[in-house]
Amino acid sequence: MDVTAPARSRTIAVDVNGEAIEYEVPARRLLVHFIRDDLGLTGTHVGCDTGNCGACTVHVDGAAVKSCMLLAVQADGTRIATVEGLSSEGELTALQRSFNEHHALQCGYCTPGMLMSATALLEQNPHPSEDEVRIALQGNICRCTGYVNIVEAVVAVGEGA
Amino acid sequence: MTNVPSDTVSQGSTAVEIEKSPVLEKGYIGQSIPRREDKRLVQGLGTFFDDVRRHGMGYVHFVRSPYAHAKIISIDVSRALELDGVYGTITGDEVAIHTDPFFEMSVEPGANIKDYALAVGRVRHSGEPVAAVCAATRELARDAADLVEVEYDPLPVLVDAGESLKDETVLHDDAGSNTVWSGVFDWGDVDQALAEADHVVKIERLHFHRFSSTPLECAGALVEYDKGTAEWTLHCNHQMPGVGAIWMAPALRTGIDKLRFVTQDIGGGFGNKICLHPQYVVLCLLARKLGRPVQWTEWRTDQHTANAHGNERTFMDIEVGVMADGTMTGFKVKALDDCGAFPRYEPLGCIIWAQVTPGMYGWRNIRVDFTQVCTNKSPVSPNRGYSRMQHLWLTERIIDIVATELDLDPVEIRKKNYVKTEQMPYETPNGCFYDSGDYAAALDIALELIDHGSIEDRRKDAAARGKLLGFGIGSTLDSGTNNFGQSTLLNPDLQFSGNNEAASVKLDIFGEVVVTLGTVPQGQGHETTAAQVVADILGCPPEQVNVRRGHDTWFNSHAGFSGTYASQFAFTGLGAVKGAAELVRDDMVQLAAAVLQAPVEAIELADGFARIKDGPEEAALPFMALGAIVNANNAFLPPDFNPTLNHRYVCRPYFGMVDTEKKTGQLTLTYATQIHAAVVEIDPETGVVDVVDYAAVDDCGIRINPQIVEGQVHGATTHALGAALSEEFVYDEEGTLLTSNFYDYHVPHALDMPPLKTGSMESPSPVAPLGAKGMGEGGGGGIHCVCAAIQDALGAAGKAIVYTSCNPPHRVWSMLQDPESTRANVSVVSK
Amino acid sequence: MLLREVDYARPATIEEAVSLLAAHEGARALAGGQTPVNVMKARAAAPDVLVDLADLAELRTIGFSSDSLLEIGAMVTYTQLVGSSEVEVARPILAEVAATIADVQVRNRGTVGGNVCVSDPTNHLPPLLVVLDASFTIRGSDGERVVSAEEFFMGVYMTAVGEGELLTKISVPPASDTGDGFSGVTIGKHGTYVVDAAATVSSEGARIAIGCVAATPVRATEMEERLAGGDFSDDAVREAAKGLGASLDPPSDVHGSADYRRSLAETSAVRAVLQAAGRRKT
Repeated sequence: MDVTAPARSRTIAVDVNGEAIEYEVPARRLLVHFIRDDLGLTGTHVGCDTGNCGACTVHVDGAAVKSCMLLAVQADGTRIATVEGLSSEGELTALQRSFNEHHALQCGYCTPGMLMSATALLEQNPHPSEDEVRIALQGNICRCTGYVNIVEAVVAVGEGA
Repeated sequence: MTNVPSDTVSQGSTAVEIEKSPVLEKGYIGQSIPRREDKRLVQGLGTFFDDVRRHGMGYVHFVRSPYAHAKIISIDVSRALELDGVYGTITGDEVAIHTDPFFEMSVEPGANIKDYALAVGRVRHSGEPVAAVCAATRELARDAADLVEVEYDPLPVLVDAGESLKDETVLHDDAGSNTVWSGVFDWGDVDQALAEADHVVKIERLHFHRFSSTPLECAGALVEYDKGTAEWTLHCNHQMPGVGAIWMAPALRTGIDKLRFVTQDIGGGFGNKICLHPQYVVLCLLARKLGRPVQWTEWRTDQHTANAHGNERTFMDIEVGVMADGTMTGFKVKALDDCGAFPRYEPLGCIIWAQVTPGMYGWRNIRVDFTQVCTNKSPVSPNRGYSRMQHLWLTERIIDIVATELDLDPVEIRKKNYVKTEQMPYETPNGCFYDSGDYAAALDIALELIDHGSIEDRRKDAAARGKLLGFGIGSTLDSGTNNFGQSTLLNPDLQFSGNNEAASVKLDIFGEVVVTLGTVPQGQGHETTAAQVVADILGCPPEQVNVRRGHDTWFNSHAGFSGTYASQFAFTGLGAVKGAAELVRDDMVQLAAAVLQAPVEAIELADGFARIKDGPEEAALPFMALGAIVNANNAFLPPDFNPTLNHRYVCRPYFGMVDTEKKTGQLTLTYATQIHAAVVEIDPETGVVDVVDYAAVDDCGIRINPQIVEGQVHGATTHALGAALSEEFVYDEEGTLLTSNFYDYHVPHALDMPPLKTGSMESPSPVAPLGAKGMGEGGGGGIHCVCAAIQDALGAAGKAIVYTSCNPPHRVWSMLQDPESTRANVSVVSK
Repeated sequence: MLLREVDYARPATIEEAVSLLAAHEGARALAGGQTPVNVMKARAAAPDVLVDLADLAELRTIGFSSDSLLEIGAMVTYTQLVGSSEVEVARPILAEVAATIADVQVRNRGTVGGNVCVSDPTNHLPPLLVVLDASFTIRGSDGERVVSAEEFFMGVYMTAVGEGELLTKISVPPASDTGDGFSGVTIGKHGTYVVDAAATVSSEGARIAIGCVAATPVRATEMEERLAGGDFSDDAVREAAKGLGASLDPPSDVHGSADYRRSLAETSAVRAVLQAAGRRKT
């Protein structure tokens, strides 16, 4: 198959939460819909039409990105991590536990995106300041919490609390 | 900062005892127990409606009007139907054949409006659904929608409520007028009060703008139709299914029990998921017509354009009587409410503000001349703070403008005029009772949190940096537990009164306690707080209590007014849980007494056992034993003793009757207090407002879970800050919404937040089952205090009057360029 | 929110990319996608072919040319810019400004090439690159050419990159004896600009460009002339800015009237110049 000829669909090879997957997708399909509708991983959410809210945040090759702003075909050959991949066998991460302790979620809709953005931050910067946390979460809208407890929860992980 | 809850509350000269659960002092109520909902939500294992899939389901996309007002000449779906993968379509003509118009709450002329699930013959706001397409995939439905050809004949557009009042263009021919409702509320004698006042402050016009809480999850549903039983199941996020069913069932010409609402996790509601019945009826019709499950997820653009905004209200010809010593004696106002294209739930907004008629203040002479009109804008629905927020903003603007014009201190004038704690329960001029609270004390806490004493020094420091500093207070009430009888003030023929909520508690065969709620939580932690209450009553750890997620009609644990709205869960929701748990407790105690052969009074429930108080260790039955007896091993029980360990309870708060002539009555039961204080710095060259210090003090009576309460305060504050500084639904002359996405409709992000300090106190409610008032909506305190702070800051640069509730940089800049035009709004006549 | 059908290609070399763009009318280069994906979701535009530049490693480098120009590949992301030691040494204002674009997720994908090729009047980089006197290397099937910033930005969504061509790199002179500044008002923190201004101050005087007020960045030439004397005191800069607003014809919209933007243009220009002057190492 001539890989560089324009095509209406493409078989992509991706690693999703450690699992190797091959899937044929239409070129026009957004990564978030591939994750939710094709792979059935519904933890990643859609909150807006214009890439502002960050509810769809996942990791692509370790970087936090908005999966509604990427076509699935663009992710061909990459390593994708979603919220479902954070904990294994129901064992919550320190960040997830911190969210619970600090009441950092109410409706829970923005939470997967927040966790992915915060996880990416902590991987690069294990002890972030409050300012650094706010910068890292700037692309994630929450309409319930006012961010107060979310920021506290992330800072607390950095402090080893 | 927390007052220990007391057993008695003074009510004038009589002390009233609060009924307390016997374990209130040591129990789980009052503890900040981490939420059990979190476990699934932090793993991405929540189930929101769009996560639900059904084999063979079709996806729906609505075709929407680009015009704000137009006749529909024709709709041609044939090209859409030709597209491979399209399952079918539906148009307004079909809707008009298969359904009856939704019932209207108002009297004539509003009562004559014909409101169908899709536009029939005419569109009345941009984004109004005209047709719907259903296809195999989301993308195909979207493609097919582009192929539906609609021919429109544009009509003149009304985007101004004042223009609409003239009835030169009428939106609903069946009504013959754009006026939905009109009425005068007159208590005391305001003309006399104004005549006797030492000063009369006149304010020509104040405007409360359109915005909404924009929950992150949009509306939607997956609807299945069972042909055999003619029943629909809606997997959805409707936050008030009781009312949704009341609208939908008659429209669909079916019985209420034929509509099963199932909600699981909901991504925020804030009142924006109350009026979903039009779209849901379309889905019901499609599911039946196409013989397959159909699913619709609202787009963000559609939520902003065509779901629901909060009320927009213009206040005119305000006159306020003030005595020389600063006592405010009364006010009158003309209020013009803009409800958008279809009133729906909205006529209630004409009345609901009356729950807080005098705001926080003791004036007794008030006249409100209230009119609601339709315009070619998005319909409105009970957005967080619903109708009371608008009115409380008015009273706070009045206080601050009076203070500015008469050179009075905003703190002192408030303390002078606040209803005093000794006066609680305080009867307002229109017969509502403020149940408890100490406004002055709450204000003091707020002032301490933002270091009020240092304000003048900070003002000088800011001035040296070229900034204008301002300080403002926003005092507000969060009234909860509605008396739906207030709807008779709107329309005496409405058969609504009182309120109710239901819950069920059972003890299963293996000793598991199971709770089902009638409420529809969207993040308020109902599962956790319900478990806390049940655990205290049944004497077991909360972990032993399983609270089922969400609302399901088939739980049969709901009542006519079930839902999560109007700041009432702590009262009605937990009241129902308490009632059901107490009935189960009584069964358990009696059963244990029979088994242990002891008198009932000797039995206690504690540590997960029913046992003889101070009795031997063996005289204890685990819950499992009791459950097993009733469910599987009951032969030895005497014939006249039939414990079920399974009870449904309806919490029915008691209200007095409403007097439709005087327009008085107990319209709501509880009043939580929120006092907000803000310090802002304004850049005079750009108009940018920086909130540099902020405090919010909440008093909602007994707090079942203080951490959850504080979270609600954070959220309400953030909604208010967004509304005060950037969130505005703006229309152009053609009725096109200019702020339909999150770029232009800017909501607070993490970096936008000021440092947020919170404080609390507890003035227990003498009328609530657990002493806990409802809370959560917040009353818009942030809007009130930011407006006040901006006005205070501008005092040093022209003394502009803040006349509207949203003040983004360009508006602040305009007020700095031309303060006189805002001041022309205000005049003072002094003796 | 859902795209129309589109064809997608992912070339392995720049030559392939250029030939794909030339071969298909209605083909668009796809860099980070942070703008075009939105546009396609809204169905405001629908290219027939997307040519994904993701595999063109050559476009992702940051380095120096033989004559010390900072060379930034078109596919360099904002995050890369922010973290680049070359940028920090040569022209830190680029990293400073890039760090305020939207949010981390956008910065991880969005590219400098995308930012300039979109040529949205509210984008951060165009006015900045104008004052930095950047040059733009464009490759077509018949070779390479270099254009100045002023030649590059031609209109709203219009640049000097023609059909069948690709922007490959942006070259920026290093900051020797210059100070750089950037100022403006955004819709919320790190939001879209309502008006912005970029300025550099050097021994040759000031270069000032205003964004968001016209289709392309506007050089504040009169203000520059008045500052040619080298007096960058507060009063002098404010005096020099007078009349700048009146000379502009900015749009009016939800976020501000034309008059508001005129005023912001003057304020932003003053602040950018003062910032630049203050940072200049004399």
